[in-house]
Amino acid sequence: MTGGITPDMLDGGLAEDLAAASLAMARRFAAGGTLWCVAPGWEPHAHHMAVEFVHPVIVGKRALPAFALTGPDLVPRARVAVRSGDLLIAVAAGQDPTVADLMRRAPAWGAASAWIGSGPRPPAGAADHVLWIDDPDPMAPATGRFVLLYHLLWELTHVCFEHPGLLTEPAECADEICVTCSDEGRLAEVITPPAGLREPALVRTATGEETIDVTLVAPVVPGDLVLVHAGAALTRPGGW
Amino acid sequence: MGAGLGGPRPPAGRDPQSTAFLYPFIEAEERDVGPLLADLAVSARAKAAESAALQQATLAASADQVAACGAAMAERFAAGGRLYAFGNGGSSTDCATFATLFASPPAGAPLTYRALSALNLAADQAVVTALGNDVGFDLVFSRQIIAHATANDIAVAFSTSGSSRDLMAALREARGRGLLTVGFAGYDGGEMAASGDVDYCFVVRSQSVHRIQESQALLGYQLWASTQQSLKRAFQQASQKTGPNPHGGTP
Repeated sequence: MTGGITPDMLDGGLAEDLAAASLAMARRFAAGGTLWCVAPGWEPHAHHMAVEFVHPVIVGKRALPAFALTGPDLVPRARVAVRSGDLLIAVAAGQDPTVADLMRRAPAWGAASAWIGSGPRPPAGAADHVLWIDDPDPMAPATGRFVLLYHLLWELTHVCFEHPGLLTEPAECADEICVTCSDEGRLAEVITPPAGLREPALVRTATGEETIDVTLVAPVVPGDLVLVHAGAALTRPGGW
Repeated sequence: MGAGLGGPRPPAGRDPQSTAFLYPFIEAEERDVGPLLADLAVSARAKAAESAALQQATLAASADQVAACGAAMAERFAAGGRLYAFGNGGSSTDCATFATLFASPPAGAPLTYRALSALNLAADQAVVTALGNDVGFDLVFSRQIIAHATANDIAVAFSTSGSSRDLMAALREARGRGLLTVGFAGYDGGEMAASGDVDYCFVVRSQSVHRIQESQALLGYQLWASTQQSLKRAFQQASQKTGPNPHGGTP
C-alpha cells in the first residue's frame, strides 16, 4: 500500500534544498517579485501553492503576490505573465516537456525557478532549485508529500522575513571584473526577428529588452533562445 | 595573524575581541545566511517528522472507517452514483485532487482501478461567482447539490475547521436528498463531527492547518483505494456467480 510522508523524507539534502529555495523566494518577494505556479499534470497543486501565499492560513502573515497558471499553452502565457525579478515554480514529473521548456526560458525572463517532483529527476541544472522526492511511486503526488513540500516553502519563506538583514541578495559586482557584467553568454529570447539583412533583432533578457545582432545564428524566429555576448548572439544554448 | 592556540575561536574574518558571533540575532544587520539556512533545514525536518507521525496516527485511527466508507461509496458508484467534492481555499484544491483520482486514475494506478464520475464543485468560476453574488457564499455548494444530485450520489466535504458554513449547508442538503455524506475535518472535528448530517466523518487531530491538510491528502488517497478495492471485490463475486464466459477466448 502506498505510504505517505516518512520521517526521513527530507534526508539526502532535500531539507537543505528547501532552506535555500525558501531564502531565494523570500528575497524575490521582498524585492517585489510575483510567484507563478504551474502543475500541468496535477493542476490543483498549482492552485494550492498560489492560495497559500495570497491568503495565509496564519493570521498576521503577509499576503504575497502569487498566481496559478493552468490550462493549455503554458509557455506563451507564462512569457507574458512573468516579469524580471519574479519566481516560477512547478510541480511536475522530471520529464515534463512543458515544464522543462518553462524552466529553460526562466533565466531569459529574469525569473528564479524551482521544480518540485518525484521519481526520475529532471536533468542536472534544469531549475535553480530542484526539490525532489526520489521515490519512484507514481502515486506520490496524491499522498500529501508534495503538499508538505510547498507548505514548508511557505512556512520557511515567512521565517526568512524575520531576518530583514538577509533579504537583500549580495551584490554580484563587488569585483572590478565579473562574469555577469562582462556580458558573457547571457540567455536571451527572441521577440522580433530582424526586418532584413544586417538589421538587429529585438530580444528579451533578464535585464530587459534590447536589440542585438543575430547574424551568427540566423535565421531566428520569435521564441528562439540565444546566448548573447557584447551585443551579438553567438550561439544557441545546448539542447536546442 | 597566527592560528589560535586553544580556547574558543571566533569564526574566520571576525574581530577576535568581538562576541557578536555568539549572538547573531541581536546584530542589527545579519549578513551571514549560514545559521539561518541551518535553522530552516532543522525546522523542515522537524515538521516533516511531525507530519509523518500525524499521518500514521490518523490512518491507524481511521482504518476501519476508511474500509466501511469505501464499501459504501463503491455501492453508490455501482448503482450509477456520482461523487461531488467541495471545500474552501487550499481544501478546495485538495478536494480537486481527490475528485481527479476518481475521475481519471493517474498513470501508474493499478489497472483494475476504474475511472468513476467525480466532480469538484469549486471548479466552475461562473457557477461559484453567480451563486456567491446572488444568494450568498454560504450557499455556493448546497445550491449545486440541489441542481445536480440524485439519491445514489456521494457528497464529500474537505475542511480543516470542520465547521465552514457553506460546507455544512451542502452536507445538510445532501443528507436530506439521500446522498451518502462524507466529511474531512481537523482540530476536534468541529460541527462535522457533531452533526447528524455526516455519515462518515474523518477527523485529523491536529491544531495546524498545514499538517491537517497533509494527513487529509493521504486519507483521501486511502479512501479512493478502498473504494476501488470494494468495486474489484464486487466484480470478482459477480464473475464467480456468472462463471466463465462461454464465448470467451483463452483464459
